[in-house]
Amino acid sequence: MNQPVAGQKIAADVASHWTAAEFAALYDEHNRAIYYLALRFLGDPQKAEDATHDVFLKAFRRLDQFRGEASIRTWLYRIAINHCQNLCQSWHNRNIHANSEDAVWETSPAKTDSPLRVLETKELGQRIQQTLDALSDEYRLLLLLVADEELSYEEIAALVDQSADAVRGKLHRARKAFAAHFEKTA
Amino acid sequence: MKQHSKLSQKQEHVAEQTAHAHAAREFSNSDELLRFDAAHTSVPPEIAERLKKSAAQLPPPPARSWWKNLFGG
Repeated sequence: MNQPVAGQKIAADVASHWTAAEFAALYDEHNRAIYYLALRFLGDPQKAEDATHDVFLKAFRRLDQFRGEASIRTWLYRIAINHCQNLCQSWHNRNIHANSEDAVWETSPAKTDSPLRVLETKELGQRIQQTLDALSDEYRLLLLLVADEELSYEEIAALVDQSADAVRGKLHRARKAFAAHFEKTA
Repeated sequence: MKQHSKLSQKQEHVAEQTAHAHAAREFSNSDELLRFDAAHTSVPPEIAERLKKSAAQLPPPPARSWWKNLFGG
């Protein structure tokens, strides 16, 4: 967790100048993490593709704003989260719906200790997406961030503007809600 | 003939079960499941191509002031 990443060095070295090769190296290192977050947060491969493109382009244009206080991965995540949340906000405004079922799953028997069994890995992506779509944006985001082993709880807390303790508590409930709903998708 | 078709049905059934057994996986929690999913998600190569074109059309990013490099901010 929280190991130094090569991208951080790249950013520090080229703080005043951003070459195509360095940008390509940064993209190679972090594209999967950003694409995966966008894919599972937005739930649409085409939108995830557009979002990933836009996030890296923003990063390219704003490199002078990267202050090196966080890892470059965290900085990219921050851009990606803002971008995805803005997209979601505009959809919600057009198409208001509520995820009121979260509360029901939270009160259902805890399944976090029992393993999540998957028979067909080819259908896994669909089941995961269905499950994440049913959770609140907050839970979805926390689960996706904690799945990235490069991020510490402190970094996740900073990304979602909460304390590390609050993140731990919410993650416990989010995992429970995920497990309860995942079983229903079998 | 009838016995033969029964046998092949049985073989098919066994093969199906074996395939299922191979595909079955257990994840101890959602973190593990999502990590597996992320590792098996491929990023469309079109993104890199689009980025290359978009970045080429942009003016060079602003240089960071020397005093910011020195003192931060």
